Amino acid sequence: MNQRYVTTIGEHQYAVELLKDNKVRVDGQVYSVDYEAMTGQQLVSLVVDGHSFDCHVYQDEDNWHVLMRGRLYTAEVVDEREMRLRAAAGEGHDDSGLFILKAPMPGLVVNVPVKPGDQVKKGDVLVILESMKMQNELKAPRDGLVTAVDVNAGDSVEQKQVMLSLE
Amino acid sequence: MTFNKVLIANRGEIAVRIIRACRELGLKTVAVYSDADRRALHVRYASEAYHIGPPPSSESYLRMEKLIDVARKSGAEAIHPGYGFLAERAEFAQLCADEGITFIGPPPSAITRMGDKGMARKIMMDAGVPVVPGTPGDKKLGNDELIRAAEKIGFPLLVKASAGGGGKGMRTVRSSEELPAAIESARREAKSAFGDDNVYLERLVEGARHIEIQILADAEGNVIHLGERECSIQRRHQKLLEESPSPFVDDDEEFRQKMGAVGVLAARAVDYVNAGTIECLVDKDKNFYFLEMNTRLQVEHPVTELVTGIDIVTEQLRIARGRALGYTQNDVKLRGWAIECRVNAEDPYNNFMPSTGYLNKHAVPTGPGVRVDTGIDTGATISPYYDPMISKVIVWGETRAQAILRMRRALDEYKILGVLTNIPFHQNLLSQHRFMAGNFDTKFVEERFSMEEAEESRDTFPEIAAILATLAAHRQTERAAHIIQRGKRDTSNWKWVGRYERMHR
Repeated sequence: MNQRYVTTIGEHQYAVELLKDNKVRVDGQVYSVDYEAMTGQQLVSLVVDGHSFDCHVYQDEDNWHVLMRGRLYTAEVVDEREMRLRAAAGEGHDDSGLFILKAPMPGLVVNVPVKPGDQVKKGDVLVILESMKMQNELKAPRDGLVTAVDVNAGDSVEQKQVMLSLE
Repeated sequence: MTFNKVLIANRGEIAVRIIRACRELGLKTVAVYSDADRRALHVRYASEAYHIGPPPSSESYLRMEKLIDVARKSGAEAIHPGYGFLAERAEFAQLCADEGITFIGPPPSAITRMGDKGMARKIMMDAGVPVVPGTPGDKKLGNDELIRAAEKIGFPLLVKASAGGGGKGMRTVRSSEELPAAIESARREAKSAFGDDNVYLERLVEGARHIEIQILADAEGNVIHLGERECSIQRRHQKLLEESPSPFVDDDEEFRQKMGAVGVLAARAVDYVNAGTIECLVDKDKNFYFLEMNTRLQVEHPVTELVTGIDIVTEQLRIARGRALGYTQNDVKLRGWAIECRVNAEDPYNNFMPSTGYLNKHAVPTGPGVRVDTGIDTGATISPYYDPMISKVIVWGETRAQAILRMRRALDEYKILGVLTNIPFHQNLLSQHRFMAGNFDTKFVEERFSMEEAEESRDTFPEIAAILATLAAHRQTERAAHIIQRGKRDTSNWKWVGRYERMHR
């Protein structure tokens, strides 16, 4: 049975089909692909129809990232079954709902210029986090209402620790 | 003044760099480390290593008394401070002198006089070194006096903290209306950062380049310069890429010697000894102005080493041992071109956000003309306690074009897994036409460079990336399924453990 995936990079959705004998079909065109994982699955030597690509591939919560020839590609990979389920559920991208600000790295909270109940605009600074001697401003991704602030100036936070919620 | 054992009061790549020079001279080395650096290369490469405290530098690398203690305990007769930490603290240099330990750097008086920017500005003006037009800097002028002086200087101008550094206590002012508020806020910031609210004014040189002159001076009064370094590629006052020579100076040997002579004059004005750097602003008409002197070894010293063939750290050690310089000005010739890229653990796609984590692979590039200075090995952790620099990649080429092509090749080979790095930034920068043409100033990265635009002009392989991402996702799903099936072993897990233990006895 062939595995079918829909892989989205930027605006483009690629129909990717894994065939027998290391063949892969992308949008109708068949490639011969030799995939060799080198270190901890993250470093991959990929040879596609004789073209060699030395790549770094890694994953975060939602996406796969491919660093290749000095360029980063961010891909969402969904298998065909999941794609159908999504279509059925009519999932759309919605700007309402809860946004939770998590610490992108461990550090020290320098300042929290907002408090619960504040109305903020996209781009407003929510938390200033110091890490590696640099102060980093973490900004609101959209307009919203601050519903909870879970950290105070002076707190040390771990990576991914919840710091603030926006509704 | 002679010594046989050197304590390196630093960490990271610069500690390794200094240890290398010491070992090549047959000197014994003493490393110090915090809890965060037990696995670092400087600990492993030194002949002795002493633990000095918890990770925050205020409790380890900045603790003068701990370092002096280690020097006494280990019998180190000299201390090299590297850069950052205690390198430009006159108090530390003085403490070493009081303890009879050779400080590998300038005398405390030179650090003090160059450390206060306002005072340095006055000394330079008196010595005939050109400075950016503005107020002298040594006098504590009140707000009214500054505002009156501003009319003569003209706008735009900069308000700068006398005690300043790293862009703190600095304000750009475009009109007289903005000035009073800017003076007040610069004073507040300077007071909290340096404990001194004195400020001075300086005309803003627009479209300026940041070019610096490397100086070597011995205790016998010989002072030479090793040509210039171009450091205009920076972001938020942090240098990212440096080269020597400067593409702006290029083959204008007369201009190089003119700047170099002024650098020598500036160093002599404070009776400088050891290696130091005169930072200058250079405008498009080749007017240049003294900005400040860094009284220490610089991060970017290797580009000068590659084009002059002079080992600056070895010279520092020679000078500190009381020997005369091994070179005269006539011996110094720049040959070819060198470029350095600072590789930092930060995400260039996300506003250069710092990235921390465990490095499960650190494979540095090698091959002709490539040098990598690093203090980090596979298996190390990039922690949030220190600066985010992982390494410096330095290349040499016959020409600037060859150096650029070689740097691109080296960065393509470089593999760092576990943290995000700014390597893609450098790769994009190195393929920008303006960079290749040498046509940039200190605002280039912040105002005229974006990752997205830079990538648009380069070859792209989205289908290949789609194949790779899909296969990686597919394999991960298969592995996950495989792990779940492990429970279906034909024997009990206890038997399994028993067999395993017998096997590994």
